[in-house]
Amino acid sequence: MRELRRAFAKLRNLFFPGRAEHDLAREVSAHLTLLQDDYQQRGMSAEEARLAARRAYGGVEQAKELHREERSFLWIEQAAQDFRHALRGLARTPSFALLAVIALALGIGVNAALFTTYNAVALKPLPVADPDRVVRMERWMASHNLGPNQYGFSYPEYLYTREHSRSFSNRPFSSMVAASWAIALPAGTGQMVSANYFADLGIQPLLGRGFLPDEDQTPGGSPVVVIAYQFWKRQFASDSRAIGQTIKLQGTAFTIIGVAPPEFTGTPESPSRVDFWAPLSMQAQLTPGQNWLSEPDQKHFQIFARLEPQADRRAAQAQTDLLIRQFATTYVELDKTTAVTLQRTSYFPNTDDIRFRALAAALMLIVGLVLFVACANVGNMLLARGAARRHEINTRLALGASRGRVMRQLLTESLLLSSLGGFAGLVCSMWATKLLGVTLQQTALLAGGDLTSIDWSPDGRVLVYVVVISLAAGVFFGLSPALRFTKPESTTRGQIAGSRLRNFLVASQVTVSVLLLAIAGLLARGLIRSQTAEPGFRTSDVFLVAADFGNFGTDPAKAIARETRLAERLRGRPEIASVGLGGLPFSGTWSMEMSAGQPPHRSQGRTLASYASDTYFDTLEISLLRGRGFTPQEAGGSQPLAIISESTAKRFFPAGNPLGQYVSLDMDYSGALTDFQVIGVVRDVRFANLTRVDPAHVYLPFGLARKHIFAGLLIRIRGDQQQAFQAVETTTDAFDRDLTPSLHLLNLDQTVIESQRAISRMFATLAAILAALALTLAGVGIYGVVSYLVSQRTREIGVRITMGATAWNVWTNVIVGGMRPVFFGLVLGLLLAGGLSTVLHQTLVFPGSTDFLYGVPFYDPLTFTTLICFVLGVAAVSSAVPARRAVRVDPMVALRYE
Amino acid sequence: MPRLQVLQGTLDLIVLRTLHTMGPQHAYTIATRLEQLSEDLLRLNQGTLYPALVRLEQQGSIKGSWGKTEKNREAKFYAITKAGQKLLEEETLRWRQMSGLVDKLLCES
Repeated sequence: MRELRRAFAKLRNLFFPGRAEHDLAREVSAHLTLLQDDYQQRGMSAEEARLAARRAYGGVEQAKELHREERSFLWIEQAAQDFRHALRGLARTPSFALLAVIALALGIGVNAALFTTYNAVALKPLPVADPDRVVRMERWMASHNLGPNQYGFSYPEYLYTREHSRSFSNRPFSSMVAASWAIALPAGTGQMVSANYFADLGIQPLLGRGFLPDEDQTPGGSPVVVIAYQFWKRQFASDSRAIGQTIKLQGTAFTIIGVAPPEFTGTPESPSRVDFWAPLSMQAQLTPGQNWLSEPDQKHFQIFARLEPQADRRAAQAQTDLLIRQFATTYVELDKTTAVTLQRTSYFPNTDDIRFRALAAALMLIVGLVLFVACANVGNMLLARGAARRHEINTRLALGASRGRVMRQLLTESLLLSSLGGFAGLVCSMWATKLLGVTLQQTALLAGGDLTSIDWSPDGRVLVYVVVISLAAGVFFGLSPALRFTKPESTTRGQIAGSRLRNFLVASQVTVSVLLLAIAGLLARGLIRSQTAEPGFRTSDVFLVAADFGNFGTDPAKAIARETRLAERLRGRPEIASVGLGGLPFSGTWSMEMSAGQPPHRSQGRTLASYASDTYFDTLEISLLRGRGFTPQEAGGSQPLAIISESTAKRFFPAGNPLGQYVSLDMDYSGALTDFQVIGVVRDVRFANLTRVDPAHVYLPFGLARKHIFAGLLIRIRGDQQQAFQAVETTTDAFDRDLTPSLHLLNLDQTVIESQRAISRMFATLAAILAALALTLAGVGIYGVVSYLVSQRTREIGVRITMGATAWNVWTNVIVGGMRPVFFGLVLGLLLAGGLSTVLHQTLVFPGSTDFLYGVPFYDPLTFTTLICFVLGVAAVSSAVPARRAVRVDPMVALRYE
Repeated sequence: MPRLQVLQGTLDLIVLRTLHTMGPQHAYTIATRLEQLSEDLLRLNQGTLYPALVRLEQQGSIKGSWGKTEKNREAKFYAITKAGQKLLEEETLRWRQMSGLVDKLLCES
């Protein structure tokens, strides 16, 4: 009660300090008068009594200050004072303030933009009710296959887990929801879901209703759909009469029963737009010819579960793992499940994938370095400014301000700067994120995805992040100048320590700039190459003949046979130059362990593998270097033969002739090796992706293909494209009428290669922006600091010249001196960049992994030489300009210069 | 003999007690009274009394009002309030307990 009363009184005094201050002055003077009266009564003269009274009273100002401290929240008052002071200080030096704020805005802006993006895809939970309790099941497989496959569960698995998890005494889940992978149909992309999907995820339809509990029961019995908000807006112009209308999907009329709320954009397994949701009982209608509901190895469903309020996530995970693996014993699993985990839900499903995390961490580190350089720049500018303000600070200290008080004032100034920078950075980042979002979306569209449903707007998390990094930056660049300038006396020692600090800042800034420039330069150069990188095989007139051969059906062998027969039919057409069956470039990779050679010289490693028919190499015009290709009999048969690429031959048979030798492949990741006899060697190509020549590639006879993965029917056309298309269509029609509706031709140039180039262009743009940022910050920073350091020595230069030093002596001395920390930073930066590129190089051991440098060596001499020249050039110019000025000055003027 | 430092927190008690026994007083008399009582053993700059006064006044333990001294000088007179009396009782009790404890400890050896 007492303390509360006091707090109110303090607050009153904080806002209305006038009255208390007046009262205090009156009281103090009354007190002094009484004292003086007393002394005078004891016989002192008026003047003596006045002095004695003062002595007895003690320091009047100190007493007043103590009073103020006691009666009010002094620190708030002082903070406000410091704030006003800092504002005035910045207003007096607007160019400094502007430069500092720009540097910080750039540094904080890139960080915020990256974080906003990361937040949008990985941190923001799905817009479901109580998202913290919703988990997505993830499967880990014997093949170590990562990606969307990990979210594939079969419907029987779902039913089994749902049923048996209820029997545990501590029931882990209150509900479980099944949602199929996104299926792309001509009318739109949709998901097939269990009837409790909307109800148990807690999603209230904007219009109409969700599914009824029994709508997923009768196969084919509930032709109803809930449509997405965007789809409703696009197709029905947001008309509420859409409810009750029908849309035709795969020939069946579906009644629209509801519209999802705008923030709910579905739960696809990889980024794509979802237009509608249908009950999974309609699977036979939506994906005809397939059976997803009763086959245990048709893993096309994701399972979401809502944890019971008191359930422990770990225990729930152990129970799920147990159930799924129990179920696995009831059928033959193609790829054994080794574990099942429960993952928190976010927009991107694979955000806890180690590769995604590594990429995010690397990007964070890079932009963190940008901020570091920006901070070092501002710190240096503050040091330079502080030297000029030394007088003011010393005066304040001499007048009795405590060191802490002055430091607080200086820190207020840097925090004000960093807050302004942070605010500007946040504004920049919102704009940059939008730009990044558009670029990502374009890239995603080319790669077959869709990111329109991502909400890029910054939320509370982003705000907190920006505030924290801004304040941290403010303290980071403000603390050391503040500490230094408030050192009790500015002795020579202090000055030496100061120049050491500045040298350290210059060196570290150069180090980081070099590192940034190296990364950006290498990336940019590699990506420029990507625009001209040639795959090494024919693309412009090669087409993939795609149709629904029953690829995902229950009998892949039948689908392959059907495809092979169609290939036979196409072969005779004059419009078609060549027809081949085999691996589809750029559409996914299949890699495995391989060994070759006799025991003492046995070489081992990973290789890419794909299937090829007898005419495959002819269709793609991959020339044969040695040996021979498959004969039609071999290509269609199951003889263990192989054709290897040039690099494979070099790597696995360094000494001898590979022809007639054997390569051993671990076909099903079980460790059991199958031997294949090498009959030919073909030229190297970029098959896995456009970024690099395949380090190793083995082609196996197409007849061995058991599953229909990453392979297809390829044709090279002759003459007019339209006529060729016509020919393919009539031939297909004559072969099998059922295939015609799903028939389409894809050109490798237009689809995959263009999209890979577009992705590269996006990365190149980002790298260029990064490089521009690094160049600006590094250039401005190095120039500012080095030229300031040299100009500080004007007086010394005057002395030297008076003592008879020649201009040349001064030049070499000053420039070499100014460059010392630059050299040091340069060497350290180059070492770090070298180390980093070695680490990056390690990722290339996987034959399918992307080489962002497109074959530019990691120690690219051009990049590194340019970089060294740039840094040294900037440093030299920045020390030469002030040195020239100093040498030209009249020594007498220089001596007085301070 | 060295002068004593005022023990942290005891200044409030001293001020309250002085006002309790002597009735409303201004800062100067409180300071003088303190010096007299302690026979100059306890000496403080008179200005340092002010934080204690403002603290007590803000708590509502004492109340200050402007008036005239017998010599017609203006001064701010502080009087103890009801809340102040209560605080004084509490603090006195606490002080007794504390000093008793310290006494006991010192006598033990």
